[in-house]
Amino acid sequence: MTARFARPASDQRRRGTGPFEGTTSKPFRRFWRAAIFLLPGFAVYLTFLFGPMIYSARISLFDWNIVDPTLSEPVGFDNYSRALGDPIFRRAVVNTVAYTLVTVPGQIILGMGVALLLNQAIRGRALFRVLYYLPVITPWVIVTLLFEYMFVGQGGLVNWLLRDVLGVIQKNVLWLADPILTFVPIHLLGIWKGVGWTAIIALAGLQAIPQELSDAASVDGASPLSRFRYITLPLLRPTLVFLMVVLVIGGLNAYISNLLITDGGNPLDLTHFVLTLMYEATFTRLDFGYGAAISYLLAVFVFMVSLVQIRLLRRRVEL
Amino acid sequence: MSDPETAQLEQVVAAFEAANPGVAVETTRYAYDDFKAALLTSIAGGEAPDTARLDIIWVPEFAEMGALLQLDGTLPGFDEIAASVFPGPLATNQWQGHYYGLPQNTNTQVLLWNRELFDSAGVAGPPETVEELADVACQLSSGEQQYGYALGGTYFWAPAPIFYSMGGQVVDEGVTTASGFVNGEESVAAMQLLSDLYDQGCLSPNLLGGGIGTSDGHATGLYAMITDGPWMIDIYKGTYPDFEVNFSLVPTGSDGSTSSVVGGEDLVVFADTDQQEAALLWAAHLLSEESQRTMAEVGVIPTLSGLAGDPALPAYFDVFMEQLETAQARVPHPRWSDMDNAVNNALQRILRDEQNPQEALDQAAEEINALLAQ
Repeated sequence: MTARFARPASDQRRRGTGPFEGTTSKPFRRFWRAAIFLLPGFAVYLTFLFGPMIYSARISLFDWNIVDPTLSEPVGFDNYSRALGDPIFRRAVVNTVAYTLVTVPGQIILGMGVALLLNQAIRGRALFRVLYYLPVITPWVIVTLLFEYMFVGQGGLVNWLLRDVLGVIQKNVLWLADPILTFVPIHLLGIWKGVGWTAIIALAGLQAIPQELSDAASVDGASPLSRFRYITLPLLRPTLVFLMVVLVIGGLNAYISNLLITDGGNPLDLTHFVLTLMYEATFTRLDFGYGAAISYLLAVFVFMVSLVQIRLLRRRVEL
Repeated sequence: MSDPETAQLEQVVAAFEAANPGVAVETTRYAYDDFKAALLTSIAGGEAPDTARLDIIWVPEFAEMGALLQLDGTLPGFDEIAASVFPGPLATNQWQGHYYGLPQNTNTQVLLWNRELFDSAGVAGPPETVEELADVACQLSSGEQQYGYALGGTYFWAPAPIFYSMGGQVVDEGVTTASGFVNGEESVAAMQLLSDLYDQGCLSPNLLGGGIGTSDGHATGLYAMITDGPWMIDIYKGTYPDFEVNFSLVPTGSDGSTSSVVGGEDLVVFADTDQQEAALLWAAHLLSEESQRTMAEVGVIPTLSGLAGDPALPAYFDVFMEQLETAQARVPHPRWSDMDNAVNNALQRILRDEQNPQEALDQAAEEINALLAQ
């Protein structure tokens, strides 16, 4: 409520110094004042995001010649229909969606668990917070190479554990030569790298929940499990929905780990993500129109998924 | 470009600048994997460099886009330069009857054999025919502990030495069709050999993906034989200084002749350069005997045929020079990366027992024909 009272007071103070004073109406002045502050950001957005987006929409309708764009041949929506009919693209969509379906719940469940533990008054809490956050700040390329190394098909760490220590396999498993098993390190990496960030956001959400609610419930005899189920979880819902929206967008845009581990969809073009396929089409095969079409298909898909999720985010919390 | 090469190139640049006052050369080095994307971006932005050293398999692709300057007719003395280099590497610069680059360096793959493993199994020396290769490979294999032969992967470069030596071909000489070539008798026999070796456990499964790399595996005794290029000397110097590197010619096919695959890089001049004259001088300078000798000191094989057998060159060049006499270039076509992928996938399907070699290569022929028809 204090903010409400403070605003007119500060407006009062500024009156008489604004650039449009006396000549224009108040809403107009307000608009320009805001516009001046918004302009730099908006200019950056127009130049580096919106402009290239429009340009790439144009590219997607051509058999694009990168050296001399005037030689590009218009092909209508051919690039789009080609993508939709291409088994490699379809497989890439399945792989990308599967990655999202595995890694998003994985990160949220493990991240929540870590957040709940870190929310307790335990010894060395600060140390654990740092440790869990470390994977987040390590560069993707380096940890991807490390995961690839652990899953080497001949005598890697994972094979050694499974064969020599646990004895569950007889022969080395060629993880990265198998179109399904390749995703074991890719999914694990996605989860491992995201848990720390998810935990920090969830922890912030947990700490915003008033302790009194939980205290009152325990006085009434609620078990820890029902306190979590009926108090923590509902109040954490906005945080969880936020996490879901951000992680799903991240999952659908996953790229580096796959590019490095599958080296362009190996084996047999069965392991692409949508973005690695887009990269390969554009920069390896120089098929710019096709690459642009793939990126637009992905953008539309991400946009639709996000719309659904934001509707979820808007729903009110009821205890 | 390796560190020693970069240092050596500075000498070449200094000599050029001394000989051409007023012309300064600014060099930029890229990692191989980033280079194509970086070049394309700069071309699209009108900021392309004046010249570049391109992988030989990229030249038709960039030439087709119109990014490169045609050198026959623009470069003074082109015919003399063209006559002084090996024909194989020169051919990689050709696109639709014209030349868009000059072969700056060349290389090929030969057989590397681990003497220690050969001695302990009582094998006298490297195999001379592919039949011997198959026998020796199995003799030197033992479960998951040791494999007689290993390839870096299924991408065309890896099986290419054996494929070409056994008479395999991807397309006809005029680059018009793959039918009867990539699925021809010799090509099928080459893939069959690899498939048999793999099934018998004599060819390491690393080629399917995600195994121990061939260079590490060869030096540590996991792979008795591999096929690789002249750079292995310097790589092993850094990583396994005590390892004795032994080169020999790729084993011969049924017609008694050896072959392999040509690699290397071409020097190209970009079409929109505003320093055409200086760029052409630089191109000619890189093909001079002096520059080629300077670069050869760090393992870069010269393309000037007159330098073959030159006593000043490293001794291990001899086997590569001999191999180059019969080594073959990959298909000079802008869609080569897709063709490579077609053969790559065919070999994967063969090794995974999804198709027999004939079926897999018939499918590859169809895919390559579709690319040729575009």
